[in-house]
Amino acid sequence: MARILAGLETEYGLLVSGHGAEEQIDDATALVRAYPGECLSLWDYRYESPRNDLRGFKQAHLTIDPEDAKFDVGRARGPDADMRSDRVLANGARFYNDHGHPEYSTPECWSLAELAKHDRAGELAVLLAAQRFTQLTGLEATLYKNNTDFHGASYGTHESYLASRTLGFERIFAAVVPMLVVRQVLTGAGKVGAETGASCPFQMSARADFFSEVANVDTLFRRPLFNTRDEPHADPVKWIRVHVINGDANMMTACTARKVGLIKLALQLAEIGEAPLWRLSEPVRSFRELSRDLTGSMAIPLEARSWTTPRDLLESYFAAAEANLELDVEDSALIADCRLLLDQLSSAGYPAIAPTVDWAAKRVMLDSIVASEDLAWNDPVLKAYDLEYHNVDPDLGLFHALEQMGSVNMETPLEELGSRLERHTEPTRALARGIAVRRFKDRIQTAAWRSITFKDGEDLLELELPPDLTYPTELADVENVDSFMSMIGGLV
Amino acid sequence: MSDGDRLTRPLTREPERKAGDEGGPKGPGIRKPEGGNELLKRLKKVDPDQAKKYRQRSGQ
Repeated sequence: MARILAGLETEYGLLVSGHGAEEQIDDATALVRAYPGECLSLWDYRYESPRNDLRGFKQAHLTIDPEDAKFDVGRARGPDADMRSDRVLANGARFYNDHGHPEYSTPECWSLAELAKHDRAGELAVLLAAQRFTQLTGLEATLYKNNTDFHGASYGTHESYLASRTLGFERIFAAVVPMLVVRQVLTGAGKVGAETGASCPFQMSARADFFSEVANVDTLFRRPLFNTRDEPHADPVKWIRVHVINGDANMMTACTARKVGLIKLALQLAEIGEAPLWRLSEPVRSFRELSRDLTGSMAIPLEARSWTTPRDLLESYFAAAEANLELDVEDSALIADCRLLLDQLSSAGYPAIAPTVDWAAKRVMLDSIVASEDLAWNDPVLKAYDLEYHNVDPDLGLFHALEQMGSVNMETPLEELGSRLERHTEPTRALARGIAVRRFKDRIQTAAWRSITFKDGEDLLELELPPDLTYPTELADVENVDSFMSMIGGLV
Repeated sequence: MSDGDRLTRPLTREPERKAGDEGGPKGPGIRKPEGGNELLKRLKKVDPDQAKKYRQRSGQ
């Protein structure tokens, strides 16, 4: 069974004192540039192809949000690369300005636990950048790891999974879409109120309001449940990058690992042709309606006038995985954890899963406030508390208060996260990228997920970083770029 | 409002909730989080209008 390389990208909400959304792109650019850690200021855009569609065509243009576009009317901006201000960090991660949001893209990982910790290390990266930004500008910056401004603007937390090109669109789509609909029960971040459709006091998914299509290549507007962008960031003959855009930004690493693990399970089953065959009749509608059912038990309509439940659907993946996959320790633990949570939710309701599920923790916190303050659920202060749950400052954020109080499970200490910004220890291609940044800064012309291009006198030498190799830590000890390239060449 | 359209005006207040329109425990069954002091301390610092004022560029 091929292991699946994965990464996470989080676009952070950014609030700068005295500034509004009009200045957000300039503020995000300045904040990214203020990152004080070791990094390289460059990115290689040659392999980016956001309009390529997995179904075999290229979209003429991407749809943009017409309301958001109004912010740019009459504003001249410099070159796109200047605005993005890409940084390649010492751990192989990418940090840049994406549409006014500081975005931390983790180093690629095989392990769920490691990926979740790197995702949390991103919080430290944006905090460090914000502190330096304040020193430089005198402006206070607040960062939120969430997905909405409660006024209809959403920003994403995307997942990337590398899969074999031989799998093809249809098999991946069939295996993954049911999981995209139901995993929110165990992974949602929760949200007060609704931004489209009928009102509701609270829902499981922060993103569900913003999805209106089943499948397309767009990400900014008319977002799809299944994003068909074909941009593998690896050899396109061999690889597909499954780009998942409907997940929430999680504060709990347990939720992050679960979110990724469930999609990996679906992809592993697709790879061997053993994914359960669920044909949801209205997947987008089900995604949105399930978000509002805090029992997590609603009937999900299937084709042929049938229906199932989130629990039965998830269990079918677990059973198929146990019957057909060689499960590693993380896979087995994931399945056991999900089954336990589903049991607890079913028997005791969401308070029982609050210690390790973001939406339930947020809801229990808000329940206590509503009860003690005698508030109605449409009181605007509840959205303020929702927002502050996601404040990444450990001294201010409400999630961090719950963590300190023991209401939710303890997370990785900050000291350990700091070391993850300095280097990547898992032997993925990110380990090689990070070593190159630390050792050979002056020789690097450009870099991306797929390759590093070194300067060699007047020439340029591009080093491909195949995503399926195991990169040895001895790469850090090589004498020079030539030996670095030779060692990686010898791995192929 | 059609699916996928973002709001183009300030949010209107949501209608008063009907009894039973959200799940979960209510009233005396609700426990305050353990060691509530740290949470209460932080809640007091939150600007009640923070979310009202919070506007972001639409991202991906």
